[in-house]
Amino acid sequence: MPHNATHIEISNLSKIYKSARGDVHALSDVNLKIKRGEFISLLGPSGCGKSTLLGIISGFHKPTSGVLLQNGREITGPDVSRTVVFQDYALFGWMTLQQNVEFGLKAKGMGKAERAEIARDLLHKVRLTGFENKLPHEISGGMKQRCSIARALAPDPEILLMDEPFGALDAQTRVMLQEEIARLSHEAGKTVIFVTHGIDEAVFLADRVVVMSPRPGRVREEVVVDLPRPRTAAVRTDPWFVSTVKDLWETLKPEWQKEEEEKA
Amino acid sequence: MISATKLRNLLGLGAALGIWQLTVSAGWVNEFMMPSPMDVVKAIGALAADGSLREHLSESLLRVGMGYLIAAAIGLPIGFLCGMWKSASEVIRPVIEALRPIPPLAWVPIAILWFGLGDASAYFLVFLGCFFPMFFGAYTAVRSMDQNLINAARCLGASRWMLLRDVFVPASLPIVMPNLRLALGWGWMCVVTAELIAAQSGLGYLIQQSRQVFQIQNVVAGMATIGLVGYVMSASLERLERNVNAWAPAER
Repeated sequence: MPHNATHIEISNLSKIYKSARGDVHALSDVNLKIKRGEFISLLGPSGCGKSTLLGIISGFHKPTSGVLLQNGREITGPDVSRTVVFQDYALFGWMTLQQNVEFGLKAKGMGKAERAEIARDLLHKVRLTGFENKLPHEISGGMKQRCSIARALAPDPEILLMDEPFGALDAQTRVMLQEEIARLSHEAGKTVIFVTHGIDEAVFLADRVVVMSPRPGRVREEVVVDLPRPRTAAVRTDPWFVSTVKDLWETLKPEWQKEEEEKA
Repeated sequence: MISATKLRNLLGLGAALGIWQLTVSAGWVNEFMMPSPMDVVKAIGALAADGSLREHLSESLLRVGMGYLIAAAIGLPIGFLCGMWKSASEVIRPVIEALRPIPPLAWVPIAILWFGLGDASAYFLVFLGCFFPMFFGAYTAVRSMDQNLINAARCLGASRWMLLRDVFVPASLPIVMPNLRLALGWGWMCVVTAELIAAQSGLGYLIQQSRQVFQIQNVVAGMATIGLVGYVMSASLERLERNVNAWAPAER
């Protein structure tokens, strides 16, 4: 598969939820092409359907209409070529971190010794060496999310789907994990779709920020981020970074204010 | 060192026994109507010495065990099925809800008619007592399961079998196990009920037979044994639960 080839192609994708109070148009006519190895941030306020879109790409939900292709083939359900990192970590609480990371390898039918070694390596990469035999409830939120990232990387997927993965973490942990995921995804060369409502996080990580607007969710604009990789803390003071984050904030502010008022 | 909680537990039990002993010793109640704790202990000793306590107890335990296993083999899978598959639940749950309010005691005549006097009737009544908590334990466990855990397992390529064995079952134990304990309590009550009427052995039979020959101390001895054994079963299951579900938030 050549680099820069279209990896995921989304055409005229819509999602309508039927409910007693009428239909909810979660997504309307979404079009998006994602290249192999590209890091995409899906940015938007709550209710813009970005998590719904991720759920559809994961294969957990079916679109109401439209086409969704991976390598030219239709996505019909969850698959180990697309693994997911969840906001609430979704670690298996009864398994040690080691067993959590081994899960996808065990599902592949890999032998004990081999999967133990791969899991240990990955836990080392996310700086969890020494915690292999801990249970998830014994470690902090940031560590849980690092473990969940290792678990998602273990089966060597083509695509990593991240659903507001740092949303439940404190600001400092979030910044550290952003830098870590920037490094990991760069090294691993995965296609990544990263859902967030944090503007600076979206720009910091992405090759391209896809901005979505709410009700019905649709792609509102795309911003190509041409900052050098690997992204490090220095990027945050880059003039282009600062002005892009500011511009995005100015355009999104009215919508987000509206969102807040509706919630209140 | 004995903890303050344990001390208060013992204090309560001791006081209850003391008052009981006092009311009998002081002659406030007729000794024939109510034997004293000392008499009961002596009766238990005598029943244990001639081997009849062991025989009746093992009969009862065997019956509760059989009925319990049958209920688990049927109730848990149906509960899981209803939890996972809405259509099945819509067919099966009304039937279960209609049967559930009927106390096992009301089934005794039918049990005797179908299975005669003996073990099979007891199995059936224990089954009835255990089935409902087991069904609802499995059903609730599946219904309250975190969908993200299942999605996580699915995107990691878990087969149906792996999803069941490595995710569904362990994730449901914090809800299933307390219900298993509840079911055992019900089963233990039902076996005694069954033996009072529909059996020729067991602790329930011991109570009934002793009443007929006016050995009231043996009646209470049988009752005390039932209480003690029920308590031990429940306490050991609770301890097991705490170990198995140590990872779960509610157990921490």
